[in-house]
Amino acid sequence: MSALSNDNWSRRSIFRAAAGMAAAGTLAACGGNNGRGGGSGSGPQLNQMFHAYGEAGTEQAIKRYAAAYKDASVNTQWITSADFESKLFATLLTKNAPDLFEFHPQIQMVKSGQVADLSDIVNPVKDDFNPADITSHTVDGKIYGVRMIDDPQFFFYRPSLFKKAGVKVPETLDELIEAAAKLTTGKVKGLYVGNDLHAIVNPLIWSAGADTLNAKNEIAYHTPEVVEGLKKMRKLFTSGDLLLGAPTDYWDPSSLVQGLCAIQFCGMWAMPVFQKAFGDDLGIFPFPKTVDSGKQSVYNGGWSMFVNAKGKNVDAAKEYVKWLWIDQKKYQEDWATSYGFHIPPRKSIAATATKLKSGLPAEGVKLFNEFGHFDNIGWTQAMIQASWDVMANCVRKSGDPEKALDECDKTVNRELKKLFG
Amino acid sequence: MGNTGLYIATGVAAFFFLIPFYVLLRNALSTDPQITGEHWEFFPTNLQWGNVKELFDDPQVDFAQSLWNSTVVAVAMTVGILLVCSLAGYALARIPYKHANKIFYVVLGTLMVPTSVTFVPSFVLVSSLGWVDTYRGLIIPGLFSGFTCFLFRQYFLGFPKELEEAARVDGLGYWGAYWRVVVPNSLNFFAAIATITFINAWNAFLWPLVIGQDPGAWTVQVVLSSYMTNQTVVFHTIFMATAISILPLLFVFLFLQRWLVQGIAQTGIKG
Amino acid sequence: MSTTTKLDLASPAPAKASPAKPRRGLWGSRTFNFWLFAAPFLIGLIVFIYVPIGWSIYLSFFDARFTVTPDKFIGLENYTYMLTDPKFVGSLGTFTVFAAFIVPTTWALSLSLALLVNRLKFMRAFFRSVFFLPTACSYVAASLIWKMSLFSGVRFGLANTVIGWFGIDNIAWLISPNPPWYWLVIVTARLWLQSGFYMILFIAALQNIPEELYEAAAIDGAKRGWQTFRHITLPQLRATSTAVVLLLLIAAYQAFDEFFNLLDKTTWGRPPLVELYYTALGTEQDYGAGSAGAVILTVLIIIVTLLQGKILGFGRGDESK
Repeated sequence: MSALSNDNWSRRSIFRAAAGMAAAGTLAACGGNNGRGGGSGSGPQLNQMFHAYGEAGTEQAIKRYAAAYKDASVNTQWITSADFESKLFATLLTKNAPDLFEFHPQIQMVKSGQVADLSDIVNPVKDDFNPADITSHTVDGKIYGVRMIDDPQFFFYRPSLFKKAGVKVPETLDELIEAAAKLTTGKVKGLYVGNDLHAIVNPLIWSAGADTLNAKNEIAYHTPEVVEGLKKMRKLFTSGDLLLGAPTDYWDPSSLVQGLCAIQFCGMWAMPVFQKAFGDDLGIFPFPKTVDSGKQSVYNGGWSMFVNAKGKNVDAAKEYVKWLWIDQKKYQEDWATSYGFHIPPRKSIAATATKLKSGLPAEGVKLFNEFGHFDNIGWTQAMIQASWDVMANCVRKSGDPEKALDECDKTVNRELKKLFG
Repeated sequence: MGNTGLYIATGVAAFFFLIPFYVLLRNALSTDPQITGEHWEFFPTNLQWGNVKELFDDPQVDFAQSLWNSTVVAVAMTVGILLVCSLAGYALARIPYKHANKIFYVVLGTLMVPTSVTFVPSFVLVSSLGWVDTYRGLIIPGLFSGFTCFLFRQYFLGFPKELEEAARVDGLGYWGAYWRVVVPNSLNFFAAIATITFINAWNAFLWPLVIGQDPGAWTVQVVLSSYMTNQTVVFHTIFMATAISILPLLFVFLFLQRWLVQGIAQTGIKG
Repeated sequence: MSTTTKLDLASPAPAKASPAKPRRGLWGSRTFNFWLFAAPFLIGLIVFIYVPIGWSIYLSFFDARFTVTPDKFIGLENYTYMLTDPKFVGSLGTFTVFAAFIVPTTWALSLSLALLVNRLKFMRAFFRSVFFLPTACSYVAASLIWKMSLFSGVRFGLANTVIGWFGIDNIAWLISPNPPWYWLVIVTARLWLQSGFYMILFIAALQNIPEELYEAAAIDGAKRGWQTFRHITLPQLRATSTAVVLLLLIAAYQAFDEFFNLLDKTTWGRPPLVELYYTALGTEQDYGAGSAGAVILTVLIIIVTLLQGKILGFGRGDESK
């Protein structure tokens, strides 16, 4: 027997302790109601799910709006992880599914009956919305989500660095590659577009004069111009002028702020942080022409509110969406301009949002209007995923672009067939 | 290999094994500009103990809550697994029953299927019980470890029969003999399994990731993972959180190491 | 041992004609006792392991997208889809490469550490603790340290700082698949995390080797070192080695945490569980195909385990003793 004999340890006491711990566990389990029921109002309990915005104050803002609502008590789940889609999709299958959630317009959510028809609350104010934001949420004449914010994505750069390196603002992908090379010095890389390059897939396609899907919901991205663009990206990827393996992704302004790169692909939301760091030494430009025949482009991303049609409180949830994202214009403006910068989808709010009226924000709005492409509701998450794989397969890995696009076609066609027959 | 060579080789290996701990502590006690600076600062002189306070004061993430969640889950799982699996392992090893073999194969069968493979339907099952975001959901589905049951069975097969027979002579049934004789004489093995179970429960990631939908139900590991993909990266907070998440286990380890080693030596985890 | 068990089976337990009164009724019944001991575990096993497995099999024959209660039966379509999916098939290849590398490497490293520590005369506990401590860390914590600091792709990563001294440019360790530096990151993390545990198993086994064997060998003129290692130590460690290899294989099968946390949006370096996670729970939400993949994987695992059992005799050892 071992030296650790039982003499010192009364075995009774051990088991008593063990039983005590087990009991404690059970008790704790009963009290395991984690922060739910935090809302203020009476009436039904609603749960809403948000991904964590990076800007300070956002979570408090969303909770503040919810607390001001009197007809239901609204609890917020704030998911601080990039895995928001997975968490959302998995939760939607369960009893704990949120009653309302933010996401992007995707048709499979409509086809599977997951999101409720919001036409009756949107229609009265339909004309006040950016028409593109209505189109992107409409299937067969019904509107399925309310846009909260539009987020154009483009490049941020420091003009002083450009001047020093003798670089002008690039208008073609070749010029961008050249600029990245000239701006790369020792420890500073020329360009950052995110570690895995997924953020620039769509702009690359649009700037090549192609599109994700055409109006008949057929593949429109598989063109010789896109192939050429992918080859150029591969060249850039292997040039050593691209910042890779940065600790933060493209959406976080840190890489440019910390001086790891000279140009960064990011979004309108990060503009306040960049401005704080660089003052006036800051410029923006859209994604350059992939090929000479293309046109510069900007991805107008954003977030929308959806109501879970399979939830317990569909009507109450719709009421809340109407109250906050249709009626409460003050909150909508606060949400769009007080933390990060976003473009309000409501014309009337955009018209009064003074912060976006001048200087660089106004320039961002201009790029949004001039070069912007909105979400296509038929371009679903599985297709998006497939398009990311293209980047992985032929830009990060030295694969053949044609073959990578063929693989993507296979997945996309499978999806299209399931969705549209 | 001479004695010097032996110590040099061990020292070099130890050096590499300690690097991650060094990096962890250095980053946890530095400021962000120090961490992301142009040159690697090997030994920051002004250690930022205030980082601890900053971590616990962070309004975005309730780190203290996650520590508490992990503690409850790990302790309850350890106690639960020891109880449930040891009893079943004992039955399979020592209580003659005509279907025992078949049942043993039912248990063995689960060894071949990594539970993670079925965690999607498991999640749906657990959620239809309404256990999402609860300690029950985090703890109970993990209690039925075929592997631990198997280990207990193997251990009890080698348990001296004479001891039990003596107990039987004293008029004890299986139940009495188990609690009065078998368990008290197996504390080393129980301690070894407990240590391993506790570590695994504390470090588990996939299941808590799926079950903890509400941040209030997150365990430490889920919080750490969320730091890595969070929109804002604050290095010193992240590393301080990691350091603190490891701390309890280091104590458990240093305290139980001898026990663990002896337990393993005694049972030998037979093949 | 099984002989005694069989004897017991043949005759009632208190057959030793002891003066004590044998328990009668329910508490004396073996069947009752067996179930008393085993029922909580078995019920849990069925509810929380077998039911989900059954559910998986059911789902695998249905078009189950964004639902786990599907109604469209599609036969084997999910299976053909998964078996022709380059990513899923590729994940099996990834696992094979990973296991073929990590299992022998961990085995060798932990055995080496055990041999080193076992020979130390002083500071033994210290060194053993140093190698053992990483076992306390989670894969998530290690992934974080590796990704954010050791192998960060930027200038303030430790690895890049060190190679910077030799004038080598920063390497984005986790981003580009050729050269596949990401394997270095994953393998070092895993070695760091698990070697200590297996080292303990080996130390335990080493201490169980009778010293007389070495003394006898010394009398026969064998030099302490490679010869005794090969002819005494290794054969004596056979049982432990087998167990370690098996445990390592199981661990490799279940690899998820560090791949999930270290690699973003890749089409490579995904072991099967990560691939399944993305198929079923990721953005595709295809529970049918995901379940089919799980079933395929399970069948493969069972085949491998059975083959292994045939070859290594695992699980039969105690019965034949």
